[in-house]
Amino acid sequence: MKVKVVKRVLDANNEIARKNREIFQKAGLIALNLISSPGSGKTTLLEETIPALKPQKSLVIVGDLQTARDAERVQECALDVVQINTGMSCHLYANQITESLSDLPLKEADYLFIENVGNMVCPGEFDLGENLKVILLSIPEGDDKVAKYPTIFRAADLVLLTKSDLLSVLKFDMVRVKEDIARLNANVSILEISCQTGEGMADWLKWLKDCHQKDIGAKAKFFTE
Amino acid sequence: MHEMSIAESLIEQIISVAKENSIVCVDEVEIETGYLKQIIPDVMQEAFKAVIKGTIAENAVLKITEISALAKCNLCKEEFTPELDNFLCPKCIKADVVTLKGDDIILKAVIGKEEKP
Ligand SMILES: Nc1nc2c(ncn2[C@@H]2O[C@H](COP(=O)(O)OP(=O)(O)O)[C@@H](O)[C@H]2O)c(=O)[nH]1
Ligand SMILES: [Mg+2]
Ligand SMILES: [Zn+2]
Repeated sequence: MKVKVVKRVLDANNEIARKNREIFQKAGLIALNLISSPGSGKTTLLEETIPALKPQKSLVIVGDLQTARDAERVQECALDVVQINTGMSCHLYANQITESLSDLPLKEADYLFIENVGNMVCPGEFDLGENLKVILLSIPEGDDKVAKYPTIFRAADLVLLTKSDLLSVLKFDMVRVKEDIARLNANVSILEISCQTGEGMADWLKWLKDCHQKDIGAKAKFFTE
Repeated sequence: MHEMSIAESLIEQIISVAKENSIVCVDEVEIETGYLKQIIPDVMQEAFKAVIKGTIAENAVLKITEISALAKCNLCKEEFTPELDNFLCPKCIKADVVTLKGDDIILKAVIGKEEKP
């Protein structure tokens, strides 16, 4: 027997992601999926960002193949943290997020930062239900990476060019990177940022607060009126 | 490199389609891979072999058809074929587009033997 079907192979994950998105909306928080190669500065960024966002409160879900080190690093400043060890899997699945949500005080929080497993390919395929995808590319990784991993940059809402303090010591063609991104997606925002010097931090915080205001602030107002 | 992640989701879907249709042994599976997903057929075949082990699709053959990409400009509605690293509309020279085709991996058919009544 031949059964003809038309099913997106990733439908099961996408359906769970859709439900996660509803949960975020009901709880009144925005969820951000942070995607990058290992070592481009995701955890460091969270350590700097979460205290600076206060009094707004942040939750963190961290995906790593092994260890709870990143969770320990952000534990102090975050409202709550869940570490997911993915073992052999190089990305997070939407259902892993769903499972973590039951352990988190969603209603008290304004932001949920999901630090995905360090990988520029697979996390792009698996929607977690996030409201926004933030892709980090650190200066030492080189200015050819947008062209090499175009798919993930095409899906981005924001690209953070991290470790911008290293622009003075490394060869990095910023114009080329911005052109490569513009060829993929005219609607993506791009910010240069350094956790070392604080450069760009204010713009990043503003971007977060604007997104929060647009997504949650507007709705909260709508419901109280 | 994402073929393995995709194969893992694919096998789950194959098994659920088979179950819904009382197929007890899957002989063949057809999928369409969009150009923009950059599935390398040989790598996909290897990943498929790994995930079917010990399932009702253990001996299934995987047929892969690649679908070319098509994008549509949000500004001028022009339809054009994008490149992996270039989604600029040829008219507007701006990448404000939706992809109409070639950005999916789709299970098209599951062929197998049914349970004997
Ligand atoms: N120079 C410099 N180093 C940074 C910056 N941000 C992070 N790092 C360093 O990069 C390394 C990896 O950072 P980490 O946050 O663990 O990256 P993750 O794997 O993406 O979470 C650490 O040694 C950080 O100290 C930055 O803005 N400038
Ligand atoms: Mg980290
Ligand atoms: Zn156009």
